[in-house]
Amino acid sequence: MLRLPLVRATGLSSSRLGAVGLHTTGSKSQASQELVEVFIDDKPVQVPPGTTVLQAAAKAGVEIPRFCYHERLAVAGNCRMCLVEIEKQIKPVAACAMPVMKGWRVKTNSDLTRKAREGVMEFLLVNHPLDCPICDQGGECDLQDQSMAFGNDRSRFTDIEFSGKRAVEDKDIGPLIKTVMTRCIHCTRCIRFASEVAGLDDLGTTGRGNDMQVGTYVEKMFLSELSGNVIDLCPVGALTNKPYAFVARPWENRRTDSIDVLDAVGSNIVVSSRTGEVLRILPRVNEDVNEEWLSDKSRFACDGLKRQRIITPMIKIAGKLQSVAWEDALVTAAKALQTVAGNEGAVIAGKLADAEALIALKDLFNKLGSEVLATEQGFPKDGSGIDLRSSYLLNNTIAGIEEADVVLLIGTNPRYEAPLVNTRLRKGYLHGEQTIALIGPNIDLSYEYENLGDSIDIITKLKNGSHPFSATLKNAKKPLIILGAEQLTRKDGAKIVSETQALANTLGNNVQASEDWKVLNVLHTNASQVAALDLGYGSTIEDVKQQQPKVLFLLGADDANIKKEDFPNTFIIYLGSHGDQGATIADVVLAGAAYTEKTGSYVNTEGRAQQTGAALTPPGMARPDWKVIRALSEIAGHRLPYDNITEVRSRLEEVAPHIVRYGDVEPANFFAQAHELAKQTGGSFLPDPVDIKQKTLDQFFMTDVISRASPTMAKCVQAAIKQRQTEL
Amino acid sequence: MAGVIARCVQIPRRQLGLLGYLVSGQQTRTLADGAPEGKKVGGPLADQDRIFTNLYGRHDWRLKGALKRGDWYKTKEILDKGADWIINEVKVSGLRGRGGAGFPSGMKWSFMNKPSDGRPKYLVINGDEGEPGTCKDREILRHDPHKLVEGCLIAGKAMGACAAYIYIRGEFYNEASNVQVAIAEAYQAGLIGKNACGSGYDFDIFVQRGAGAYICGEETALIESIEGKQGKPRLKPPFPADVGVFGCPTTVTNVETVAVAPTICRRGGTWFASFGRPRNSGTKLYNISGHVNNPCTVEEEMSIPLKELIERHAGGVIGGWDNLLGVIPGGSSTPIIPKSVCDTVLLDFDDLVRVQSSFGTAAVIVMNKQTDVIKAIARLISFYKHESCGQCTPCREGISWMYKIMNRFVEGNAEEHEIDMLWELTKQIELHTICALADGAAWPVQGLIRHFRPEIENRIRKFKVAASN
Amino acid sequence: MASVSATTKYVRPVLSLNKNEARKRVLALYKLWYQEIPQILLDTSLPVTEKMCFDKLREEFRKNANETDIRVIDFLIIKGEQDLQETLEKWKNKGQLMDYFKVTVEKKPSDFLGKFLSGQD
Repeated sequence: MLRLPLVRATGLSSSRLGAVGLHTTGSKSQASQELVEVFIDDKPVQVPPGTTVLQAAAKAGVEIPRFCYHERLAVAGNCRMCLVEIEKQIKPVAACAMPVMKGWRVKTNSDLTRKAREGVMEFLLVNHPLDCPICDQGGECDLQDQSMAFGNDRSRFTDIEFSGKRAVEDKDIGPLIKTVMTRCIHCTRCIRFASEVAGLDDLGTTGRGNDMQVGTYVEKMFLSELSGNVIDLCPVGALTNKPYAFVARPWENRRTDSIDVLDAVGSNIVVSSRTGEVLRILPRVNEDVNEEWLSDKSRFACDGLKRQRIITPMIKIAGKLQSVAWEDALVTAAKALQTVAGNEGAVIAGKLADAEALIALKDLFNKLGSEVLATEQGFPKDGSGIDLRSSYLLNNTIAGIEEADVVLLIGTNPRYEAPLVNTRLRKGYLHGEQTIALIGPNIDLSYEYENLGDSIDIITKLKNGSHPFSATLKNAKKPLIILGAEQLTRKDGAKIVSETQALANTLGNNVQASEDWKVLNVLHTNASQVAALDLGYGSTIEDVKQQQPKVLFLLGADDANIKKEDFPNTFIIYLGSHGDQGATIADVVLAGAAYTEKTGSYVNTEGRAQQTGAALTPPGMARPDWKVIRALSEIAGHRLPYDNITEVRSRLEEVAPHIVRYGDVEPANFFAQAHELAKQTGGSFLPDPVDIKQKTLDQFFMTDVISRASPTMAKCVQAAIKQRQTEL
Repeated sequence: MAGVIARCVQIPRRQLGLLGYLVSGQQTRTLADGAPEGKKVGGPLADQDRIFTNLYGRHDWRLKGALKRGDWYKTKEILDKGADWIINEVKVSGLRGRGGAGFPSGMKWSFMNKPSDGRPKYLVINGDEGEPGTCKDREILRHDPHKLVEGCLIAGKAMGACAAYIYIRGEFYNEASNVQVAIAEAYQAGLIGKNACGSGYDFDIFVQRGAGAYICGEETALIESIEGKQGKPRLKPPFPADVGVFGCPTTVTNVETVAVAPTICRRGGTWFASFGRPRNSGTKLYNISGHVNNPCTVEEEMSIPLKELIERHAGGVIGGWDNLLGVIPGGSSTPIIPKSVCDTVLLDFDDLVRVQSSFGTAAVIVMNKQTDVIKAIARLISFYKHESCGQCTPCREGISWMYKIMNRFVEGNAEEHEIDMLWELTKQIELHTICALADGAAWPVQGLIRHFRPEIENRIRKFKVAASN
Repeated sequence: MASVSATTKYVRPVLSLNKNEARKRVLALYKLWYQEIPQILLDTSLPVTEKMCFDKLREEFRKNANETDIRVIDFLIIKGEQDLQETLEKWKNKGQLMDYFKVTVEKKPSDFLGKFLSGQD
């Protein structure tokens, strides 16, 4: 319903959807058009035609109050808070929806405007409960703020019949969102978010007039990988954060700007903490990465930071891990390290490792003479391997995905692997006529796509032109290939990489797009992956298993499915924050910090370096990871030459300068060379069908140590399974 | 709903698009002092000038009967004269939309008659007649459906539309079935469908039944409803002429407007223009209900004096003209006028605007002195409260608040200053919403306060006295 | 500016007008304390010997041996007299007196490993 092909085909810009437009791409095409002059409170502003009054006012520095309007959602125009007077017009207009006309004189502070706002405010409060003292939105409530700014200071509402205010039954829409529907002001932001961004038509209104209710038509949970965003969108306290209910007021929290590490998108977040606890996580606006959304896992898994933590170092004594002092643990580990001669040590880096820990560990093991540094999700060594960054990055940037006209997904489910990449795809699909195809199993991506099948040799067929879809790909102006990093761990990963590179190369040659359009993109799922590959963690777990090292260092590696039986004669050192799979098989456990407790550098899937901020100190005796490694190096007799974070980062800069250029994407552009090198890759495809780990919602919530330790995530998994079973 | 759109004066210029300045210029001139040169008053309509000759269903409503009454006569020739000729004829006739707003139909149709941009165009007939007091479209739908079907074809041709959707109120089951039969007959006779009437023009007509929501009579809500969504008005702009049904250019017109079009084309625009005062020309279906001896629907000339209409066709007010309290002249959403005004007022667009009311759908609701006028208006507000779609804040919250206050006024359990507050509330609701339903709810209250304020004050005083004893 | 610096140079004396006078007062205070120590020990039965007290007294005075500002010296004298009075009048209890004999606080580690193990960053 949202995709109106007819309207878009004719390029009708005045349509409702057109007015919303694409925020990143829309402005470019408008730049060439002539500007119109309008006056906001007698101040002249030049704006492109089709701009709404509200946007023009924003340009003039005047903010018009609003409830239902949101920049990233379609215009509803139903709250009527943004009414403004236009000179020579009887009727005040809704600023959010009305495009400006040449020469309009908008009065945002006239008597008529103010009366209109006051009236709307009064009407909104007629049926809004006065429960601010027990409302979780208190302090960050649009209704509170705007009634202070624009409302009347006394009430005219006399209710001598004591009929009371409208009361609405609360809905149970899942373990994440608490609803108090009596507070709802019917702005329909949540409904629009669900249907436009999340791609879920579960929310809607029933009833009419004063009996209108926002809800889920039938009793059902609103389960999506992005559902938490409706909490931020809700201007009142109707939808609030369930795990955070009655926990804290916004003004008493400490806010720390940080980066999310539970997927490889690197969403910008704000960590709200108080009294040594992370209370909640909110998204932070970054147009290039997450816009202003956040996935549910990133938002709600924060209670996993308080459970299953390793708070002291431990040594395995008589088959049992026992808490010890740092000296004992470090000495035990160091003794083991001292036995390593030559290439007898190995490292497996987990998905949450920061670049500082990675470089320290690499330096230590290189000093010991070991070169086997593996990541949980290895990258094939054939061809150019990890030498050319362009082979393993999402080269076209996350924001660039919107501009593509044909997208080929290979063995990836962006909806659950990187929800905020999927929102870009959905945006491209809704507003930009994007055609999307997938090689992989049948999954729900929240938009329509063509499933080309789950056989991997379709890549070759597409390259040769023997597949029906290759015509679409060849005719595309801006084709995009997104390869799921998960597929590279297959036995034929090298072949997949080389064939995909070849396909991208053929497409790249006949594309009319500009020089910097990059066809080949790899979508990672692990936050540490790109930094690890940048720093030279080139080995795979298979390599480690073959090598049978004397000492194996697990840097938070809990998802690699490593068993003690694989390494019968290996001394295993585990450094990490949570007691999970890795710690159970270790001989020495060193207590590390989680991402909210350290300042660490991460590189996201598009190659953007960002850093987390330390909101808290690590619990108990835990220490930031690189410090543990630094201390261990000294005791083991190979002192690493850095004592503080600045020195570690200068070392990082020596190895990979882009990792410390925070906020920037370092573009990589050696596709042709990578393709040349990949030509030598031999081997052939395996007959196994392409499979994806995260196919349904319940597989999305628990993917790493933090989310596995989170009770909220556990409830989500239960809810998702329950919902699926009732639907069947 | 149709009558709610009665916004004669208030049509903001921007809604009229480019031609808005022209139109409103005309209107101001008209309003300046009565009518320009021409007839000063409409008289009784002669039988040979009636358009709806089967209004009371005394004859056969099917194709055979319709042909006998002159429908489908030389329709091909009308079509062959082309779109511009039809639009010109409608323009000459001075036909104004019969749904309530009174927008000049010729002009409205000409908005659509522009080169296509590749999208099909649609004609939508608004048969969602839900306005309390109004029952004119119903008579057309059930007793003269072929007039409507033929009108669709001609209006469709004028706009270059490829199909028409007739949206019929859900409660009109038999009416919808009659229209459906008429359409089927017309298809079989080759009058519509491929090569309609042999003119080489392809035109389809579909019937869509509503589900009982008054708001679906608002044009954009009606469009949403046809598309299968909740009937909630859309924001304008874009106007339906730009983005309407299924994203294509659409014109929404009232049943009566379309049904008179064939006769106008056949008998000429000047014939139609000869009735009524200038700018209010034509004949019109009046619905007279309430405290009259003989409630009826009757076709009369425009600009007929209210008193004459009631006395001649409805058998007078119960208890005599002097027993009259007030009249709601154009359906429930128009402000009530008191007897003093009723004595002289003419029933047309301009004269009712002069007396601060509105012509609406010409549904005359007569109330004599046995009426509790406050209770009557409170009942109307209850209707609007129930029918508000709930989108816009002022309408959703404001009308139910008004209803609460009105209920107290009925008993008199209120303070006198609350009358001013209620007046202010209506001003706060009026013109602040997406569609005109809220205006339609505010205006009856405004009319009540304007003309019957002493009545309310009296009741409040009486209640106080009773309470203190 | 000149006038400003001229005025700031002049300071009102607290007790002593010159260094010599200050020195006399310090010695007088020292003597007073020295004479009272046996009596204090008798009164309070502190777990220290007379010798320790004399040493501590010298140590406390020596702490400020480098002080040259007359006003500061005067303040220290006043403070010392107050302390003495409080001691003699038994306004100070045993614990407060034993504060003088407190063991010195351990120095914070400055090397990386030391900081790491003690958890001080």
